[in-house]
Amino acid sequence: MNISSDTNGPAGQTEARFGVRIAARLEDGLRDLPHNITERLRAGRMRALSKRRVTQIQLETVLAGAQSASGSLDAQTPGFWTRASALLPLLALVLGLMAIGVLQDQERAYELAEVDAELLTADLPPTAYTDPGFLQYLKKSAQE
Amino acid sequence: MATERELDAFLRGVEKRAFKRTYYHVRNEESALDIVQDSMMKLAEHYGHKSPEELPMLFQRILSNATLDWFRRQKTRNALFTQLGDFDGPEGDGEFDVLEALLANSDNPQQESSQSQAERAQILHAIEQEIQNLPTRQREAFLMRYWEELDLAETASAMGCSQGSVKTHCSRAVGALAKALRSKGINS
Repeated sequence: MNISSDTNGPAGQTEARFGVRIAARLEDGLRDLPHNITERLRAGRMRALSKRRVTQIQLETVLAGAQSASGSLDAQTPGFWTRASALLPLLALVLGLMAIGVLQDQERAYELAEVDAELLTADLPPTAYTDPGFLQYLKKSAQE
Repeated sequence: MATERELDAFLRGVEKRAFKRTYYHVRNEESALDIVQDSMMKLAEHYGHKSPEELPMLFQRILSNATLDWFRRQKTRNALFTQLGDFDGPEGDGEFDVLEALLANSDNPQQESSQSQAERAQILHAIEQEIQNLPTRQREAFLMRYWEELDLAETASAMGCSQGSVKTHCSRAVGALAKALRSKGINS
């Protein structure tokens, strides 16, 4: 025990002896703790230990993940399939962008074709829209 | 790093004392059990990877903080810290005479062995009562020093005060206990 080493003088020693005796009484009293209390303490300890197990498993999983990630980066001669699988997401991204581009071009072409078709099938010939008199007429009627 | 067995052994060794100490503070069995269980969970979850030598101090701190949190939740924090007895406890040379007398009487092994179980239980009850009557800081310092057997530096660190304050708290606690037990006619 490190109590006596901290106490100075006879008064300190007397105090320490008294304290130790009281503590011994208290320690003695622990044997008589009711069963329900000791059981609850035991259950609490078991819960704490199982919590530690869960935390440790989580920690190990994270560490293993980090290790495998750094391992694949550190590998000096990765195989063809390893490299290929690393490039797969990039390839998917490029293909996706290309597909989006083609779809957008197609959609624009359809829109233009629709406008052309409407112009060509309308009662007015398309050349009417180049006539300044006709444009003036359209402007006036829109204002009215 | 403490193994599961080491942690189990440590908790098994401290759980009853922790419960009793907490009970002296909060005076409620259910709350004391909750606080101790909470402290064990925190130790296992956050400090389970520490070495076995570090566990006692960590546990003392966690337990003290958990008890303080309980008082905060009970909104009695002010009452906890403003007990005047923390600062102006009884002092004087007379106490040491009382102590000497108590120790002289109780050092007699014959007397001790002749104590019946009922007597011992009675004395324990009186001691526990007087410990509960101590101001919080004095009680904490006394129990950590003499029951948990922490040294001055460790107690000061766990209590967040200076070593001088720990000495003062302990000295006053011993004085108050000796006087109270003497008045009850008990030789510790």
